[in-house]
Formats: sequence, C-alpha cells, structure tokens
Amino acid sequence: MSRFFKAGSDSESETESSEDDEIIQQRPSAAPVQSRTFQFSDDEDDSRRIVRSAKDKRFDEMTNIIQQMKNHKQIKDMANVLNDFEALIKAADKAKKVIQEEGVPRFFIRCLFDLEEYANECWEDKEWRKSISKNNSKSFTSLRQKLKKYIREKYEKEVNDYKENPDQGDDDKRDETPAPQDEESEDEVDTSVKAPVKPKLPAPPVIKKQLPKSMDDDDDDDDDIDWDSSDDSVESDIDDEQFDTGKLTAEYFLKKSDSGTSKKEKKRKEPKQMKLEETDEEGDWEEVKGGAPLIMERPKMFGKDQEINVDAVLKKLYEITSARGKKGTDRNEQIELLKELREIAETNNLGLGIDVKLYFNIIGAIFDYNPNTLTSMRNDVWESCLSYLQTLLNILIDHPEVNVGEHIKEDDENLTEAPLYVRGCFLTLVEKMDEEFTKMLQSCDAHSTEYVERLQDERQVCDILEKTLRYLEIKGTTLEISRIYLKRIEHLYYKFDTSCVYTGDNEPKKEGTSEQTMDKLCKFLYTSETPDRLRTRAILCHIYHHALHNRWFQARDLMLMSHLQDNIGHSDIPTQLLYNRTLVQLGLCAFRQGNIRDAHNALVDIQSSNRAKELLAQGLLPNRQNERTPEQEKIEKRRLFPYHMHINLELLECVYLVSAMLLEIPFMAAHEMDVRRRMISKNFHHVMKMSERQTLIGPPESMREHVVAASKSMKTGDWKACKNFIINDKMNAKVWDLFFQPDKVRDMITVKIQEESLRTYLFTYSNVYDTLSLHTLAEMFELDMSVVHRIISKMIINEELMASLAEPTQTVIMHRTEPSRLQSLALQLSDKFLTLVENNERILEVKQGIYPFQNKRDRNDRQPGTSAAFQHHTQGVVEGEGYGPPTSKSVTNNQHWNRRNNKNYSRESRNY
Amino acid sequence: MAEYDLTTRLGEYLDRHLVFPLLEFLSVKELYDDKEMLKGKLDLLSNTNMVDFAMDVHQNLYPDQQVPTVLKDKRGQVVNELKTLQAATDVITKIFEDPEVARTIQNRDGRQLCDFLYQEKGFRPDMVETLYNYAKFQYECGNYSGAAEYLYFVRALLAPNDKNFMNALWGKLASEILMQNWDVALEDLNRLKDIIDHNTFAGDLQLLQQRTWLIHWSLFVFFNHAKGRDTIIDMFLYEPSYLNAIQTMCPHILRYLTTAVVTNKGRWRGCMKDLVKIIQHESYTYKDPITEFIECLYVHFDFDGAQKKLRDCETVLSNDFFLVACLDDFIENARLLIFETFCRIHECISIGMLAEKLNMAPDDAEKWIVNLIRNARLDAKIDSKLGHVVMGTQAVSPYQQIIEKTKNLAFRSQVIAQNVEKKLGHSKQEVNQWGMQE
Repeated sequence: MSRFFKAGSDSESETESSEDDEIIQQRPSAAPVQSRTFQFSDDEDDSRRIVRSAKDKRFDEMTNIIQQMKNHKQIKDMANVLNDFEALIKAADKAKKVIQEEGVPRFFIRCLFDLEEYANECWEDKEWRKSISKNNSKSFTSLRQKLKKYIREKYEKEVNDYKENPDQGDDDKRDETPAPQDEESEDEVDTSVKAPVKPKLPAPPVIKKQLPKSMDDDDDDDDDIDWDSSDDSVESDIDDEQFDTGKLTAEYFLKKSDSGTSKKEKKRKEPKQMKLEETDEEGDWEEVKGGAPLIMERPKMFGKDQEINVDAVLKKLYEITSARGKKGTDRNEQIELLKELREIAETNNLGLGIDVKLYFNIIGAIFDYNPNTLTSMRNDVWESCLSYLQTLLNILIDHPEVNVGEHIKEDDENLTEAPLYVRGCFLTLVEKMDEEFTKMLQSCDAHSTEYVERLQDERQVCDILEKTLRYLEIKGTTLEISRIYLKRIEHLYYKFDTSCVYTGDNEPKKEGTSEQTMDKLCKFLYTSETPDRLRTRAILCHIYHHALHNRWFQARDLMLMSHLQDNIGHSDIPTQLLYNRTLVQLGLCAFRQGNIRDAHNALVDIQSSNRAKELLAQGLLPNRQNERTPEQEKIEKRRLFPYHMHINLELLECVYLVSAMLLEIPFMAAHEMDVRRRMISKNFHHVMKMSERQTLIGPPESMREHVVAASKSMKTGDWKACKNFIINDKMNAKVWDLFFQPDKVRDMITVKIQEESLRTYLFTYSNVYDTLSLHTLAEMFELDMSVVHRIISKMIINEELMASLAEPTQTVIMHRTEPSRLQSLALQLSDKFLTLVENNERILEVKQGIYPFQNKRDRNDRQPGTSAAFQHHTQGVVEGEGYGPPTSKSVTNNQHWNRRNNKNYSRESRNY
Repeated sequence: MAEYDLTTRLGEYLDRHLVFPLLEFLSVKELYDDKEMLKGKLDLLSNTNMVDFAMDVHQNLYPDQQVPTVLKDKRGQVVNELKTLQAATDVITKIFEDPEVARTIQNRDGRQLCDFLYQEKGFRPDMVETLYNYAKFQYECGNYSGAAEYLYFVRALLAPNDKNFMNALWGKLASEILMQNWDVALEDLNRLKDIIDHNTFAGDLQLLQQRTWLIHWSLFVFFNHAKGRDTIIDMFLYEPSYLNAIQTMCPHILRYLTTAVVTNKGRWRGCMKDLVKIIQHESYTYKDPITEFIECLYVHFDFDGAQKKLRDCETVLSNDFFLVACLDDFIENARLLIFETFCRIHECISIGMLAEKLNMAPDDAEKWIVNLIRNARLDAKIDSKLGHVVMGTQAVSPYQQIIEKTKNLAFRSQVIAQNVEKKLGHSKQEVNQWGMQE
C-alpha cells in the first residue's frame, strides 16, 4: 500500500472516530467536557461556550498541541515532538488556575503517560536510534529527560494512578482527545473500551515483544483478537459490533472502507471484524481467532477445510503484502509469512507461476526488511537473499515458458497455464541486490576480516549477474540487456586480469579474457539504442579497463573520441566520480608507458586541489569551509566506493609529482631568466616551497620528501642522486612495487631521469661552456651517443639551446647568444617600455572620451569578453552626448589595445 | 615488398570497377602470384556485366578449359537486358539529342530544365528513373563514357533529395575517374564533397562512411591532377572532419598525405609540424617506411634511421599505384628535407658523411651542395681541404632583439603626443565656442 492510501485511511479513521464520539455523546454517559469545537455542531457549541470559556480555551489549546504531537510522533520527528511537549507544558502552566479548579484533565495525564511510553519504546529501538540524524537524536534525549523530570516533579501521582488504572474515566478521555496515541496504546485503549474492567492489561512493551513470537497472523489486529479471546471479551465485541452495524449504516461503510484499505490504522475492532465478515472468510476468521502464538500453528494460515488453490493463496498474498511498507508491520514476520505461504503453495502443487510470484514477493520483502537507506542488511538476511535470488533465477532459466516483466499488469497475470505471465522484474531485483552489496561493503571496516568475508560474496554476485545476463540475452528487451550489461561491466572493469597484459612478445592471444568480455559488452552498449547515461558509464569503464591493462593508445583514443571532457560536468555525480577515476587510471597508464606529459595532464586536475580522496570518492575530507549537514554527509558517504575498488592515493600523488618533476625542472632551468615565470605544476611548486621553508632538512622519509630531494639533485644535473632518491627500497615498498611490472616502470623512470637531467644540465651550465664533447656528455649521463645526439638536436631545432653541432669533431658549439645578465635585464626593460607605451595609449583613450565611469571601465578592461561590449557602449554614449567626436584613429587604437589586453589576460589565466 | 601493399585495404572503400586499375598495376609489378591475381580479377568481375572481360580472364587463368556456360548464359542475358533498356531510353536519348535541349541544359538550373522538358518535349518524370537505370547498366558493362554522359543528364534532372541523387553523383565520379578525365573528375569530386559536408540529415556514422569513401576515391584524382597535391593537403590535413575520418577509419591514407606533403616543397614550413603531430599520434595504428621516415627525421632526429627508411621508401613508392609517378620527386625532396634539418642543427659537416646520409656518391653530393649554395638556398661554404661544409651562423644577438623590440616604440609615442596636442587644441576651440555662446 502506498503512503497515499495510508494517509487517506488515517483521515478517514479520524473522522470516523469523531463520529463515534458524537454517538457516545448522545448517550447519557457522555462526558462533561465537550471542548472540541470542531467536533460539535455549531449550535451546540454556541449554547455552551460562554459558560466554560476559560476552561475551554485552555483545554482547547492543550488538545490542539496534543493532536499535533501525535502527528509528529507518528513520523518520529523528535525535534518537533520536543517542541510540542514544551508548548504543552507552557499551556498547562497557563491553565494552572483551571486545573486547580477542575482537577488535572484526564487527557493531559494520558498524554503524558503515552509520551513516556513512546519515549521508552523508542529508546528500546536501538536500530532506529542509530539511524536518526544528529539533530533528531539530540532532541529525543532531551525530550526524554525533560519528560521524566516533568512527570516526577508535578504529576507523578496522577500518572501512576493512570498507569494502574487506565480504564477509569475512559469514556471521558476518549471524548477529550481525538486519540493522540500510537497504535499499541491505542489498541489497548480500544480493548479497554470494550471490556470496561480489564485488570490484566499488559504494558505496550510486552505486546511489542510478543509480536514477533506470534507469527500465526499477519498483523497486529490478530494480536488484538488474541488478547480479546483470552480475555473472554468476544461477546462484548460482538455486542458492540451489532450495535454499530444495526444502527448506523453510514458508519458501517466508513469502517469498511477503513479496514479495507488499512489494517494498521485500525482504531477499534469492529471494522476488522466487519471486514472479515464481508470478505466471507469465515474459516479464516475462525482460524485466526484460535491461533495461539505458536509456531506449530503456522500451517493453519488457511482453514482446515478450506481448499487451498491459487486464488486462495493469492488472496492471502495480497493480504500479507498490503501491510507492506506500513509502520508497525513486522517485516521479519512478513518474510516468514511469505516463506510459509510459499511452502504451502509448494506442498499443494499450485504450480510454477505461483511459486515464481511468491519468490518475487519474498525477495521484495527481504529488501524491504531494512527500512533505512543508510544501514546495510544483516549478514544472515543478505545470505538468504542471495540464495533466494539464485533459486528464482534457476527457476526462470530452467523454465523458459515463464514470462516475467514489469510491463505485465496484475490483471494480465497468468499463473496457472502454460505460457505463464508473472508480474515482477528480476533485473530490478538484481540491481537492488547489487546496491545492497555495495552498501554492505561500505558499512564494513575495510581492514577487518568482515570485509573480506563480505567480499567473498562478490563471486556469488557476479555469478548471479552472469546468469541473469545470459537469461536476459534470450528473453530481455534491449534496454534490459543494456542494464544488465552495464552491471556486469561495473563488476569487471576495475579487476586486474594478468592474462590481458601483453608483454610485447608474440604470445598468442588468449580466449575469454576480461578484455574480450569488456569489448563485447561495451560494443553492444555503444551500438544499441541505450540511454546516454548507460553508454557514458560503459565508455568510462572501458577506458578504465584499457588503462588498467596498459593499453594506453586504445584508452586514449576512446577517451578522445568520446568527447566526454566537454560535457562530463553536466552528468550526474556518480558518473562524474567514475570519470575522475578513469582519468586517474589513464594518467597512471600513461606514466607506466612513459608518456610523462600525458600522465601529468591527466592527473593535474585531480591533484591540484589536494582533494583527490574526495574527488575519487574514497573517503570524506573534513576540512572544508562550510561543514556538511548530516544529510549531505550521508549522501556523500553513500557515494563512496568500496575499499577494494580504491586507487592508491600515495601512488597517485607520487606518479604525479615525479612526472611534474620531470617536466618542471628542465623547464625551470630553461626559463630562469624569464620575467614572468610560468608554472607547469602549481602543486609541485607548492611541495617544493614547503620543503624550502623547513629550517632543517633531514634525510627524506616520506614519499614527498623523496621526490623533493630528487628534484633538488636534478636541478644540478646530478642524475644518479636523483635516481637514487626516486628509486630505492623505501620508495619501492611504498610506491613502485604496486605496479604490475615494477621493473619496467623503474627502468623507464631511470631513462627519463637521465634524459631530463641532461637537458637540465645543458640549460643550466651551457653559458660556462664554449664547446662540449658529445662523448663526455654521453659518459656523464650514461646514455647512448645517439640518444644524446637526438636530445641535443631536438633542443637546437626547438631553439631551446643556442648551439650547433660540429659533426666531424662530435662536439656541441655554443653560440653564446644566451643573454648575459645585463642583456637579459635590457630585454626586460624593453618589454617594460612596451607596456609603458601601451599604457600611455590607453590613458589617452580614456581622456579622449570624457567619461564619468572611466576608472570603472579600466578595471573592466581586465575582464575579457565584457570589456569589448562595454567599450562599444561607451563609444556610443560619447558620440551621442556630443562631447567632441572621437577620432577614427583613437577608435582603432582602442580596439587594438583591447585585443592585446585580452590576450594578456588569457595568458595570465593559463598561468595561474 | 608485399607487406607494404595497401591494395586490399584500399579496395574495401573502392568501387569494383575502380579496383581493376589497381589489380592491373599489381600484375605488372608481379608482387603476387599470377594465378591468384587472375582469380581475384575473376571474382571481381563476377558481379559486373563485363562478361567478355570475364571470359578473357577465365581463358588466361585456365587455358585448357572451356569457358563455363554460366558466363555464356550471362552474356545472353546482359545483351537482352541491354537491348530492352536501350529501347526504353531511346525516346529520352532523342530528346537530349535535340540541340535546343542541349543548349538549355547548359544554361539553366535543374528546375527550369525540368519544366522546360515537361512542357515542351513530352518528358515524363519516370523517364529519369529509366535513364538512371540505363546509365547504371552501361557502367556495369564497362561503358563508362556512356554512363557518364547519361548520368550528367540524370544529375541535372534529379532533385537533391531523390534517393538516386547521391548514387548518380558517385557513379558520375567513378565514370570520370575511369575515363581519366581528371578535370571533370575534380569538379565532380568537389560537388560530392560539398553535398556530404552540408548534409545535416544523415547520421554521423553515415557521414563518416561517405567521407572515407570519398577520401579513397579522391586519391585517383589528386595524384593525377596537376593541382591535386595542393588540394589533398588542404582536404586531408586541414579539414577536421576528413582528418578525423582518416584517423578513425583509414590511417593508411597517411602514406599518401605524407607523400603529398614531402613532394610539395612550398608547403613544408606550414604543414610539416601538423603532419608530424598526426603521424606521431597514429604511429601505433599505422606505420610504413614513408611515415617512419618523417618520424625519424622530425621526432627522433635519427638521421641514420631516416636514411635507411628513405631507401625503403623507394621500393614502397615504386610499388604503389598512386605514388609511382612521384617517386623521383619524393626522393629529391626527401633528401632536401634531410639536408635542411641537418643544416639547422650542425655548424660543420663532412661531405663524406653527408653523402652517406643522403644516399649519394660523395662527388654527386658535393655537386648537389654546390648547386644549393649557388642557388642561394644555403648559407654555407665548402672547406675542400678538409672536405667539410661550414654553415653560416644565423643566431640573433640580444642587441638585435632589443633593437627589434624598441623599434616602433618611439613612433607610437609620437603618435600619442600628436593626439594629445590635437586634443588640447580641440578642447580650446570648444571652450571658445562655449565662451562665444555665453
């Protein structure tokens, strides 16, 4: 049943109860307090109001608050309950006088009592307490304390009295308030109405405990009946019922509708009985009445003589499932009931259709078991869930004549004959299962054995996915196939498969590797008519998988072809997270393949913010300007990837820093003289600066210190020291050994360090040489002559090094045109002159158009895009005002300046 | 050298009839087994109406066998069909033979022409279809000139959204290529390209496919037309959609693009960088001696490697249907490229080494260099005692730089000063005016 219906029934029952009240009021025993204006007819009210205005007013106030509190209690909104409680106390204080005169109103005491009960009950419910938000739990604690204190101080005696003798003055109480109780106490009250003297009334917690035990029935109503029958109050019930049915037809219908829609909200017993009568389930009713809370009674879900057929089972099923999702429904019991129903159906050979349908319902109920989206399932529930899924799946696979699908309407179901049609979507169940699995992993401590145990279920999950996939390939629609394909992909893409990595030798391609599976699945998703989101995710997973297995070119091409970089910002957050992961993996792959610049480019965005952990959804970072609200935190926690999918952050940072070092150090050496120094990697500079600030620099300990030390030695061209800092036992253990073929990576790094050190050396020391022998250089950096020749040639061609080679002598001849200190300063000065002239021109522009907001415009000039438009605008104004027309010369100048300025700006923006 | 042969790859994107010249070329070069070539030809012919040709090939392949009856039967069928189609198109042909019509076709656009034909000459819309079918049949039979002629009319008459419109264009292009009318073919090619580029209805995939086909077909035109080598660079390298098509579908086209760039001396400076980038980018999917030569020269600066690759290039080029004509051009220009790069890096080179790098005899090399120096293409001197070439230095001194930078500053400042003066004068005048009004 949906919430909608529930709400509907709620209101219905209220009006109904009000009508009831009126009936009671018509009796001579009607209570003296008729304070609820809304339940009286107007004229009645008018006649009495003047007499009791003070009292009415106060009590009115209180009942309103109580009413509100009742609502808040129902949704367990503790903060508001607390507020209501405080308001109630205030109202009670106000009504002190009246209270002194009239005595403490019964409804007030009852409210206090109920609230206390409610608080205790909630306190017992540990699971719930864990799950509520901080704010709520705080309110709850303070409510409990305040309530205790208040009762102890003021109304201890009255409450105790009430506790002992709750039925006294019950009628009165019923009239007073439109039942601000939660269900247990309500039922209790109801019973007490019918059996005016009932000394054995149990306390609500007892009922609570008994509920799970009494598994013979589907809901609380039947518990009530148990109580009643044990109390010999059946007759009075029937009396009541007869009274109602006999006299009030309108009410009759009301109650029927109430009981028809909802069982939980039942206020009294009559409606339930009526419903049972109406549905003509006499046998059922008899059985239930006799059903003691014993397990052996369970098979008697149906009458002894009742024929168990498909219809009966279905009816029962609807009966059970209609309680689903409502508060107070014992979910565990529901599962048990459904299981039992299935057993009954099975023993009676009701056929496959019913079996499948019941399985669907059982699994659904299991997923329902945990109402909280944050906490995960219990292990045993999870395991049973898996086994049920397996069984259902096997049934579906073994019996292709069974058709399931969400598109099949309840009415179109065919549970008996050959082409069976059952409503229900197995794929949705599988997806839900996957979600639950992730949740369970999230809730475990990643370093505990529990996590490992759970992770072992991955195999089962994958198994189910695989089977479902094969099943749906035959029976499913394209969309369904796409969905299950994506699920499969998502369980595959992050797993490293050693058989997929080709070492470059001519080994034959193996069959059935994860690469081929990925390829097949992804290509299907690319080509079929799937929603964009599925396709995007598939592409990202595919790239990730390629990158993980060192297939750099495929990964890069796929990434470039997908054009995801342009519009990933518009997709949902989980996809963006996946994109981040993919990008990082791509960077790592590029690094392993020796494409340092690509590696740096891929990683720079993730690393520059220092929030890699958060961007990869591998944990929450505390340090942010504005603290998260608990809700936000919950949402973010749900997004986190389980530990076994994590990318090692230290490895990531190290790879980033090393690639930044290899790029940045030669770059810095080459541009030492530049006026405006650009940075390739801000983060790297930051790390360097941090180390410079230290007063004492000891031998490197952490990964970062190693990289810093290596960078420093590289600066001086000392490649051996640099290499030793990057590649040593400590770094191997920390970083490099995490790669698949660490030796290859280490060799690559060594070569890169040699080459880049050579470049740095040439940049730094070229001004002290006239000629340099290639042989010496090759010896110094332990590189091949050809390599040295290549590097130097490249530098000469790119005009990085002002030199040329003398081929016969194998030497580098420096042109010595690198500006000396004086010369470079002169160059800088000339640059400054240029700026000065440009500034002058601009000032003249401003002067020419005498414009009141000129200063503002100056500033605006710094913003590209807006400035041009603005400029035009001002020009127009100037001309229009007629303060002397600007010469055409100045206009062109103006635009020229503008363009230049924009260029500057864009350069700046690239720098920082 | 069969490993560098691209015929199979190219064939995927070519029309049946366009493959024949390639096969003919291959059989002349004798790269493959003769029998296999003939078998391939026969397969190729099986779906065409060129039955006589097929019979010839069959005779060549199996000299001792009789021509199978299937072919003979087919011949009869083809002849019959040809006759019926001819009869159907007779009326139309007559209409077009009318000199008045011919004049109109030249002068008016499609719609006017249609109106004219419908009204004046009793032309019916379904006649276009007949004409198209006849042209197609002619093409199938190998009568390309006839096909081209009829397709010319079809194209003029068909609306651009007709289903046969594109087919007609492709058919026309193929016919012109096969008749070696390169000027007309280039025209047709550009027309087709325009239509493909402005097609907004077709899906990306379809466009990509069409572009790929166009790229392959255009090779015929570009390497035979005089202006082709310029156009090929513009189209393949600087039109992103075609570059994309090359990168995703057919990286082997890079061979032709590279050759075009290398042989086009005037465009080295502009294109080489872009070309190198693409070759590097695609190096993992496609490699042959020609792209590797560029890679060696511009990425690795490995002159020995470049020289080796140059030798390989010679064989590759001589075995490529499209490139065989520009072999000498390519070798000459490739040498120049090596030498130019060499000169930029070196200050002093021994002639012996250079000769080796350029794959020439030392004396030839010296002559070659002397020629370069004489033509003022090279700022260098030969030290004949040591056998060295000594380059002139081309470094720019900082003094020069500063002079360059500050050269026009003075002028600009002057302009400002003038403006200020003008301004001042202006405002004085204004003040006066105001004063007068007062």
